Amino acid sequence: MASLGWRWRRCCSWRAASGCPRLGALRNPPEGQGWPAPARPATGSWGQMLHFSLVRCLVSCPNRHSISRFHHTTQAVGCYSETQSGEKYTDPFKLGRRDLTDLYEDIKKELLVSTTELKEMCEYYFDGRGKAFRPIVVVLMARACNVHHNNCRDMQASQRTIALIAEMIHTASLVHDDIIDDASSRRGKDTVNQIWGEKKAVLAGDFILSAASVALARIGNTTIISVLTQVIEDLVRGEFLQLGSKENENERFAHYIEKTFKKTASLLANSCKAVSILGCPDPVVHEIAYQYGKNVGIAFQLIDDVLDFTSCTDQLGKPTASDLKLGLATGPVLFACEQFPEMNAMIMRRFSLPGDVERARQYVLQSEGVQQTTYLAQQYCHKAIREISKLRPSPERDALIQLTEIVLTRDK
Amino acid sequence: MSLRELLRRPRCPGVPSALWRTRLRPPPAPRRSLFSGSPTHWNQVVSEAEKIVGYPTSFMSLRCLLSDELSNIAMQVRKLVGTRHPLLNTARRLVHDSRHNLQMRGLVVLLISKAAGPSSTAALSLKHDMVSGIYPSQRSLAEITELIHTAFLVHRGIVNLSELNSSDGPLKDMQFGNKIAILSGDFLLANACTGLAQLQNTKVVELVSSALIDLVQGIYCENSTSAEENCITDDIGISTWKEQIFLSHSALLAKSCQAAMELAKHDTEVQDMAFQYGKHMSMSHKINSDLQPFIRGKCGGSIAFNLNSAPVVLHQEFLGREMWIKQIREAHEKGSLNYSKLQEAILAGKGVTSAIDLCRYHGNKALEALECFPPSEARSALENIVYAVTRFP
Repeated sequence: MASLGWRWRRCCSWRAASGCPRLGALRNPPEGQGWPAPARPATGSWGQMLHFSLVRCLVSCPNRHSISRFHHTTQAVGCYSETQSGEKYTDPFKLGRRDLTDLYEDIKKELLVSTTELKEMCEYYFDGRGKAFRPIVVVLMARACNVHHNNCRDMQASQRTIALIAEMIHTASLVHDDIIDDASSRRGKDTVNQIWGEKKAVLAGDFILSAASVALARIGNTTIISVLTQVIEDLVRGEFLQLGSKENENERFAHYIEKTFKKTASLLANSCKAVSILGCPDPVVHEIAYQYGKNVGIAFQLIDDVLDFTSCTDQLGKPTASDLKLGLATGPVLFACEQFPEMNAMIMRRFSLPGDVERARQYVLQSEGVQQTTYLAQQYCHKAIREISKLRPSPERDALIQLTEIVLTRDK
Repeated sequence: MSLRELLRRPRCPGVPSALWRTRLRPPPAPRRSLFSGSPTHWNQVVSEAEKIVGYPTSFMSLRCLLSDELSNIAMQVRKLVGTRHPLLNTARRLVHDSRHNLQMRGLVVLLISKAAGPSSTAALSLKHDMVSGIYPSQRSLAEITELIHTAFLVHRGIVNLSELNSSDGPLKDMQFGNKIAILSGDFLLANACTGLAQLQNTKVVELVSSALIDLVQGIYCENSTSAEENCITDDIGISTWKEQIFLSHSALLAKSCQAAMELAKHDTEVQDMAFQYGKHMSMSHKINSDLQPFIRGKCGGSIAFNLNSAPVVLHQEFLGREMWIKQIREAHEKGSLNYSKLQEAILAGKGVTSAIDLCRYHGNKALEALECFPPSEARSALENIVYAVTRFP
């Protein structure tokens, strides 16, 4: 089933990645213009609208050229794009985990709490059941940058600490998000607020964030502190973006991508940037790391939004169509709305009328929304690959390339 | 009124605070304050102190006030009007108490910065940046201290949805209130983090972050007892009480004062004295406010008071826990606690006088710590703050 979907997406990719006269813009997207969600929030609505029409153009493009042309272009961008022989099929997760054997134990050491119950709450999600997706990307990026810089085969302790901090910031935001959304289950178990109540849960989130902040300060580098503090700010701003909805369809899509960047991709982008700063003095490399993290991060969330429609509760560990129930219109809904304008009213009233959620779900499944969102995710992954290919080859760099495929094909 | 309007206090930069709060003009109406033993006296102390640190202490930076997020919060808070969510009260207190307490922490950070002055090792070029003898970084720190304090005031007001009953109104309102409380608290914290990062000093970031950890643990202890057990004093002695209060009320100010010294490159000895002042001053401040119901209460009738406040915990320690629980049971009438009856019982014991002694003990410790700073207006203002919180009728 998954492989079938993947093949379909591949088809979609070469079908769309051809013919369209404006495609050049996507292959080599001008920063802060056609490409959505730049690092700093000040993008003009013009750029965002351009992106939207670009996407629309891409997904409706006729099938003319072949896949080879697309890949040719990809290769031309990278300067070290050939993969190392024999390392091509490295499992990125396996490679990344080598540096993360005691990840959760080490995080618990950072959470120095005197009260046993608070300790239990803070450690609740660090049970080893999570995918540890963020720490894996971070350690792979750290090693890839170290090799690129001076062929160094070691990783610095501070770079590994960034992986811990990334997971801690992520978990702290999960704890608060679950209270905000009044969620009762996550990763197949009850949420912190469900078990201990909201009053204590909010403190658990605050505690984890504070502990992450102490660990960050102890690295002793003010630039690193600024880079990761940006994440904390983005997380809150993303949450605020989620509160509002836009009436204008073009704005709505840009708003969605911006929210996705702030809530999910900023953490990956900035923690990748942080380890690159620690490993290599070249600002060009910092930008590559940042762009890789940002693009993979957005793709990751787009697929997450797709899975909310296509996966079942057992696989996800949380209820499906949860975004609709929260009144949120994600990628698949926004694309479906193109095909079924009657969904507009439902989006505006945040699916609040009885039956709205189920009706919207049906519309999405009947539409091309899922495929189009997946396709968009794929475009972000291509951009990520183009960026990371600029680094000198290493098993870790190739694992990061491979990882984009896992991001697209995961089913949970 | 929106939160944005509420937060925008009626003073503008450039206008000396003394113009609108002069000590010559008596307060128009007897204003209730934590220091109602002598509200005018406290106001005088604060007003004098504010003049010393230069322009009025307008914390909650303008950047933060003018942000889209805050106007968004204000819009959302307005929707809460009419519900029983505690966030509304917090927002209200942000305005009404602001003159007495809310900015106290930031003011102390500024005063101690000025009292310490530039360190002998500081570069001359840096001294030029000082305004009224305070470095810009120390002003930012004062603002960050206030942001953190306010963020936790907001997060303290989250309610447990499963413990609600019909008198709390619709569940939906409370859910929404929680959502806004988390978001606005996180927003203030994120702003504090950004400000901290901009100070470009990893020691300060570590110090203030560790104060955040202390604060969370302290607040956690505050509400770790369930609603049911809430009607009884915790089974703790005064030393455990002091440890908990240090975390929940003193650690932030103590560590901010220390960080202010670090920012001016003062040595560890000076840093430690600043820490001691912040710690002991806020300790006596807390005990002073705990004592108010027992001092005012004589004339003001029955006021509900905190069963975990200093005089009560001391009373329990003198009396023995069993006897105290017996007294609480006896004060139960028709399912609710008769606080004036309980108050009489406490006033008959030694709890109140020992709490006053404890308050003065910490006040003296705070004054001792100040001795390492050279005499100055700022140091006198810090002393006056101690005198104000240790003065009892």
